[in-house]
Amino acid sequence: MIRFDDSHIDALIEGHARAELKIYTLGQFKLDLVDHEILDNWGRDKAIQLFQFFLISRNRTALHKEQIMDRLWEGDATDQNFKVALHGINKVIEPNKKARSKPKFLQRQGASYKLNMEHVWLDCEAMESFLEIGNNVSSVHPELAIIAYQYAVKLYNGVFLPNRIYEDWTSTEREKLQMLALNGYISLAELTLEDQPDETIRLTEEALSIDPTWEEAYRIQMMAHMINGNRPQAIRTFNKCKATLQDEFGIDPLPNTIQLLKQIQGK
Amino acid sequence: MSHQDQTSSFLLRFTQKLFEDEAGETNIQWRGKITHVQGNDQKNFTEMKDAIDFIQAKLSTMTLSSIEEDASDEEKEGLLVKSMDIWKKLAKSYPKMMVDAIKDPKAQVAQIQAQLTNKAGEIQEQLSSKAEEISEKYQLESFKPTSKSDIKELSEQVSELTSLITKLKKKVDKIDKKIAKS
Repeated sequence: MIRFDDSHIDALIEGHARAELKIYTLGQFKLDLVDHEILDNWGRDKAIQLFQFFLISRNRTALHKEQIMDRLWEGDATDQNFKVALHGINKVIEPNKKARSKPKFLQRQGASYKLNMEHVWLDCEAMESFLEIGNNVSSVHPELAIIAYQYAVKLYNGVFLPNRIYEDWTSTEREKLQMLALNGYISLAELTLEDQPDETIRLTEEALSIDPTWEEAYRIQMMAHMINGNRPQAIRTFNKCKATLQDEFGIDPLPNTIQLLKQIQGK
Repeated sequence: MSHQDQTSSFLLRFTQKLFEDEAGETNIQWRGKITHVQGNDQKNFTEMKDAIDFIQAKLSTMTLSSIEEDASDEEKEGLLVKSMDIWKKLAKSYPKMMVDAIKDPKAQVAQIQAQLTNKAGEIQEQLSSKAEEISEKYQLESFKPTSKSDIKELSEQVSELTSLITKLKKKVDKIDKKIAKS
């Protein structure tokens, strides 16, 4: 088991600084190539789709061309389309590549392809790494966990590839990242509760903007208002929780949320 | 007349809430959220029936949108009925597994494990029989692999499969332990 410390956070920050290609997918889709933002020179949308598909498949072994085309375009594309899209990607991410030289980022093994992540920094991957550090040290080294979680939630600028929310090949990754971010906000909110209740309130609001039915966020926020000495606001938070759960699920809050309200009311 | 294929994808999220009631007894509650990917519409639910109704409504809309505008009302109704009949048959059997999971998670895990074991057995049998068939037909020793990259690719795919099976087994064990505890 890895023992996480400050050096792991430093390594992640350095990884961002060193990367030749930086990719932002959370709340946006943006590429920085050695500090030059790549704008709209992709040409066709199929090239962007293919590149984004490579991002989603980054942890898999190289995928066969047919597999990619089938998953991405469901038989609605030809070999030529694939070739053009591939050429489009290389043109964008390696504008200075010499003709017939081996691409640096897109690796080819026969008719299979994958993205070489060695020189690439990807925001969602960095977010996961910061969360991993936070989750592993939260009970033994809460100060370090706070720093790790702060970096993680700062990276979450919105849903994964927002321009692809209607396309099912992106759904799994989006859902996974959204749940990770939500848990990151909640973990950080709990850690800042005693010393920074205002920050806790902000973080729980962020969590509720992702999922307004996340009951734990309401509970933590109620506690934060109480630490601030604001009993009426704590009760208002409970009422909002109750109304939301009733509207969305037709259910009451859990017994521990009701118990917390009773404590707040001094009953 | 040719019609274009249409796809509707749904994403289901279940959140399990374990809590103690006033009598100190541990209870379980499931909160679900279903998302229609292509429309990005969502619905929260605690009863599977609501999720099924949500899917049915989306599929009806999809069927209606694919019927040509100049089709008669009878044609539209007929196609919709056909579409819903297919869905009803599917809805009757498929969500049963999920409903069972909500009602009795332990039995469901056992069922999934049994299904996995059976499936693995079936695959193994099929593979053995296929291997025998191939070795009878051809003398494999006389074949040489086409290239090193093919072998590498194949080996990577086998490793990926092995790792996926290991992960799956771990997940099933984890769920089993959780349920045994509850």
